[in-house]
Amino acid sequence: MADLGNQPSGSDGPDSSIAVMLAAADDLEGLSDKPKTFGRLAFERFIHHKLAIVGAAGLMLIIAAFFIGPILSDFEVDDYDVLNRLAGPTKAHWFGTDEIGRDLFVRTAEGGQLSIRIGFVAAGLATAFGTVMGAVAGYFGKAVDAIISQVINLILVVPALIVLSVFALKFGSTWWKLAMVLAALLWTRIARIVRGVVLSLKEQEFVMAARAAGASHRRIIFRHILPNVIGVIAVEITLLVGTVIVLESTLSFLGLGVKPPETSLGLLVADAKGNIDNDPLRVLTPGIMIVLIVLCVNFLGDGLRDALDPRSKSERG
Amino acid sequence: MLAYIIRRLLVTIPLLMIALYLVHVGVSTTTDPRSTFILCLPLCQDGYDQITEVYNLDQSVWIRPFSWFGSAIRGDFGESNSIGGPVGEILWERGKNTAMIAIPAFVIGSIVALLLAVYSARHQYTFGDYFFTGLAFFGFAFPSFVMALLLQNIFGVQFENWFGVKPFNTGRKTGENFFELVRDVTLPVTSLMILGIAADSRFGRSSMLETLNQDYIRTARAKGLPERTIVWKHALRNALIPLVTLWALNLSALLGGAVVTESIFSWPGLGPAFLTALAKPDLDLLLGFVMLTGTIVVVFNLIADIMYGILDPRIRFD
Repeated sequence: MADLGNQPSGSDGPDSSIAVMLAAADDLEGLSDKPKTFGRLAFERFIHHKLAIVGAAGLMLIIAAFFIGPILSDFEVDDYDVLNRLAGPTKAHWFGTDEIGRDLFVRTAEGGQLSIRIGFVAAGLATAFGTVMGAVAGYFGKAVDAIISQVINLILVVPALIVLSVFALKFGSTWWKLAMVLAALLWTRIARIVRGVVLSLKEQEFVMAARAAGASHRRIIFRHILPNVIGVIAVEITLLVGTVIVLESTLSFLGLGVKPPETSLGLLVADAKGNIDNDPLRVLTPGIMIVLIVLCVNFLGDGLRDALDPRSKSERG
Repeated sequence: MLAYIIRRLLVTIPLLMIALYLVHVGVSTTTDPRSTFILCLPLCQDGYDQITEVYNLDQSVWIRPFSWFGSAIRGDFGESNSIGGPVGEILWERGKNTAMIAIPAFVIGSIVALLLAVYSARHQYTFGDYFFTGLAFFGFAFPSFVMALLLQNIFGVQFENWFGVKPFNTGRKTGENFFELVRDVTLPVTSLMILGIAADSRFGRSSMLETLNQDYIRTARAKGLPERTIVWKHALRNALIPLVTLWALNLSALLGGAVVTESIFSWPGLGPAFLTALAKPDLDLLLGFVMLTGTIVVVFNLIADIMYGILDPRIRFD
């Protein structure tokens, strides 16, 4: 009870009295009449997390706008309307136009699509790889653990920008290649977290029982240990999407990420930067899009953390 | 303790060497310093041969790093071909400039974050707490380049250049006049600071909350200690323990050069130098940079662990 009493979700409105919280806690702890499954309990906790719902709804809204928006607009990504170049927001061009008169609403939507696609692909790959590496390191320990830990340290020492630049020069830079490099750089955090959890899990009785029953290492890792880590992974993958989107936009801004003719939110900010003194709004629209996406993703991640792992403290409070 | 420090440092030296080796190989395979000479070849054979000689280009890329290691051990880190001058001197000069914005950003940012954390923890679920939480979430979502561009545009351009936006393009130098220096430094420091405060204050809040809910705090209250003593003396000490690691990581990241923020504000620190070196590419400067940032990260991680032991005597080094 004490755990739930100071649950630092930040979502409980100021009006929620202690009595309500205690009653809710009873319910969430599964002390009501009908027993509930873990998934059911987590779902209920998630539904009651206002910020998480706001985040989920906001994210869906933004993604829908990015994918549906260009259909509603009269313009294509590469159409240029030279007569209306560098126009501010008008009825025809909702977000204005760029140096050669391309419609910025359509370009922002296209860039947003690519940013989100890179975010999900890179976060997914990084999580899958990091989970396996972390589980292997934690489960086998000793030399395997030492090697994987040193590889992680190595990745943290080499500046990411050098890796990205060398990779782009050698293999080119389409969006999925960028996503792969980002995943190769970002799996370390998840690997460390999973390693820590697995280290403590592998000493427990159910693992010993599985081993006694003759289960193979692979079966123990994938069937017995990893299901226990899913809560942590779900939270991390959500937050990682936000990290990747910020990183990708920063790289594109520096000219080391997505390259024209592809476009992303960071690239749009970089394009608008030269003319910022006259038209600050053009920097602001893709910039705010990034902020909103990351904000929604972080809300969602916090809600998931509270729902799936009620005992854990959320770092952000 | 001393044995622990030495062992930690010894473990990281091979790691750093592997990193340097890989960077050397990676950059060498993707570029050729002779590319401009190839066009004029029979005429400039002398220059071509000279470059080949200097960079050991007749060797395989896998062997080339060793000659760099050889001279680096003797303290010669090579010459920068993008900025000009010995790598050691460039890193020193640029490093000083970076420290000029990194240290104020770190010190002020950490103090503000700590005060906000203590406030939010003591006034949990009040308007002030929600306000700062919201602000932190918002600040946390800002990519550094959006933040820097906005600050630069709002305070540097729209308000008639209150702060020096591009001090080094106007021919002024740092350190000539203290007030001008403060003026030039304000915006980049603020930009770096806001991002740090957003992350640290959340972390500090949950750490402080956890401490305030512990039994010994109740004991302190029960025996009638003034609230000020409880918060600032009893609780803060324990709440600081997890924060110290975060601080060490923050400072090491800042001292390695804020690539984006420094570039946007045209601040001649390590960040822009790194970008120039990367674009050229200037292998010697890049290697120097990897060595510097790698050392900073390693040393600050070590400091964090040692501080951890000092603040929490239960932790033993072995």
